[in-house]
Amino acid sequence: MIANTGKNSLFMEQLDALAGPLKKEKPSDWVAQLREEGLTRFRELGIPTVKDEEWKYTNVSALAGHRYALAAKSALSPAQRKDILARYCGKADVNIVFVNGALDKELSNFGKIPPPLGGESLPAAGVEISMLRDALLKDAAALKEIWAHYDPQKDPAFVALNKALTQEGIYIHVSDKIIANQLIHILHVTHADGEAIATFPHTVIRLGKSSEASVLETHVGLNDENIYLADPLTDVLLEENATLHYSKAQKESLKAYHVGTTRVWQRRDSTFNGFSLAAGASITRNDLDIVINGEGAAAFLNGLYSVYKDQHVDNHTSVDHRVPNATSNQLYKGVLNDAARAVFSGKIFVQPIAQQTNSYQLNKNLLLGKGCRVDTKPQLEIFADDVKCTHGATIGQLNEDEIFYLQARGVPRKIATRLLTQGFVDDVLNRLTRGSVREQVARLVAPSLAALEG
Amino acid sequence: MFEIKNLHAKINDTEILRGINLKINAGEVHAIMGPNGSGKSTLAKIIAGHPDYEVTEGEILYEVNFKKINILELEPEERAQDGIFLAFQYPVEIPGVSMSSFLRASFNALCRHQGAEEMDPLDFDVFLRKKMKLLEMDEKFINRPVNVDFSGGEKKRNEIMQMAVLNPRFAVLDETDSGLDIDSMRIVADGVNKLRDKNNAMLVITHYQRLLNYVVPDFVHILMDGRIVKSSGKELALEVEGKGYDWLIKK
Repeated sequence: MIANTGKNSLFMEQLDALAGPLKKEKPSDWVAQLREEGLTRFRELGIPTVKDEEWKYTNVSALAGHRYALAAKSALSPAQRKDILARYCGKADVNIVFVNGALDKELSNFGKIPPPLGGESLPAAGVEISMLRDALLKDAAALKEIWAHYDPQKDPAFVALNKALTQEGIYIHVSDKIIANQLIHILHVTHADGEAIATFPHTVIRLGKSSEASVLETHVGLNDENIYLADPLTDVLLEENATLHYSKAQKESLKAYHVGTTRVWQRRDSTFNGFSLAAGASITRNDLDIVINGEGAAAFLNGLYSVYKDQHVDNHTSVDHRVPNATSNQLYKGVLNDAARAVFSGKIFVQPIAQQTNSYQLNKNLLLGKGCRVDTKPQLEIFADDVKCTHGATIGQLNEDEIFYLQARGVPRKIATRLLTQGFVDDVLNRLTRGSVREQVARLVAPSLAALEG
Repeated sequence: MFEIKNLHAKINDTEILRGINLKINAGEVHAIMGPNGSGKSTLAKIIAGHPDYEVTEGEILYEVNFKKINILELEPEERAQDGIFLAFQYPVEIPGVSMSSFLRASFNALCRHQGAEEMDPLDFDVFLRKKMKLLEMDEKFINRPVNVDFSGGEKKRNEIMQMAVLNPRFAVLDETDSGLDIDSMRIVADGVNKLRDKNNAMLVITHYQRLLNYVVPDFVHILMDGRIVKSSGKELALEVEGKGYDWLIKK
């Protein structure tokens, strides 16, 4: 039920104003249905409050206190456009660039996919990238199959809101047995001076049997003063024996709200190799929801968050082992400075049938500021008896012995602190095996780590 | 070049050093021996600037550019930048920081202090490999985290290797011999001896006389209960090895 707070009602009021113009577009039946589902569900839920168990440590009421506009016209200068290309797009083979929620064709390079191994034609045989609305007209059945995994009546608030207000999205489909070595990069840039905007991008990734692909999703804000809401939703389906390397890297403006969800459905012997970077926003909430529905599947969830000032970052992961003989492995590391706050909630479900599950979870936090705080909550619900599940969480400061050792070798304390923090971070960064992705992530996290020296 | 004057120090209100006096000239090697708990390692840590100890009286004078300064007023890193080195009794493990980035940070900090340019990373790599060879350390260690999964002997060799990289003017070796097998002892001692010259000095702290067979000191001091109770030439080390420390208490 909607909590009857002033802010929440302000947000609910504008919901109709935002949704109204979308209805005039005459979308396909499916889009209309998706939006209607989302609207109905979101009206039921409203903006979550701290009374909601899932939002106990993250208060998003500030998010509801703004008036948002959908997709403001981007007013990027030529210099800014050049900068975006140089800074974020240099390393990928495919760049799909959204500015303020709308596809920017000029900044994007879709078709120039080099052929995958064994492929001949251009664009790459077996790798199909299209706008979600086109895919819905062409191949609605494939998308329906993915969405049918989730009960719309149970969608969390920001998934429902994304569905209600989504305008554009991307559909990536890799055909059976295609090994795509290229990096597909989806970049979301927000830049809107003067008005608060909201974006609801929806990405759908489907990997066919025995295929492999690498996708990087980046979310950045250009101006640290901009207030905006980013509510992205990414749906992934991995068919038998498929492998997806998926990284989400986010560094929004210091005043932005980022509430994102990634849902992954894994079939037999598939591998999800995930990485999540949260390098800042006023409030960040990332939900990563994995369902392992096929034996022999493996999910790797690695994450890094680094925040300072009064930023708040919240990572919720959920891994649902519904079948036997699957593996999940999580390592989330956080660096906090000043008065920043972090939340980690890691749910692992092992259903009665899921014997021989092997599940591992570790959350490590480094507190560098005097006013920072971490709430970490592993949550294991194990209903099978022959499983191996371990979890752990640490919250600590830098080791003074290590700092002294460096100082005794002539390294000033500040540089020693930086070196040790980088060491803490590198451990998880090095799990990104693709150099170009690792570099991009390292570059995005660098400013928040550099803030330590200030 | 290095002089300790009436040094008193405590940790958590327990007085450990009770008036140490010691003068070391350039080119000399001094050894400090003493039973457990006599204050040997405390002295080493205070010279390096460990924050856990409080100096209540006295000073440590060190000559930098023909000027005597009291190093107790300097930060630990400033002491190191001025050429003071401590080979740790228990070298610290630093997971996540590789040997090469650790030593490059250290070497560059010293370069900057001396107004010299930082060494090019590739040149530094070559330089580092040479020093590792000197201490017969496997090159694979270069990319390993500092001291992590090193054996006891490898850690001690690593300390002397770092000393070779930083080329200090005054080095304190804190029980570098403990935990070393005979081969490592020889390698470490050879390394130390190669670094001896007329412009630098060393203070070798040890519990046993063994190391002093290889690194022959000019002077030996016996530290007991926070004071130096006897000083003499290298033969004193043999005497202590034979008779133990008890006979010195009665004096």
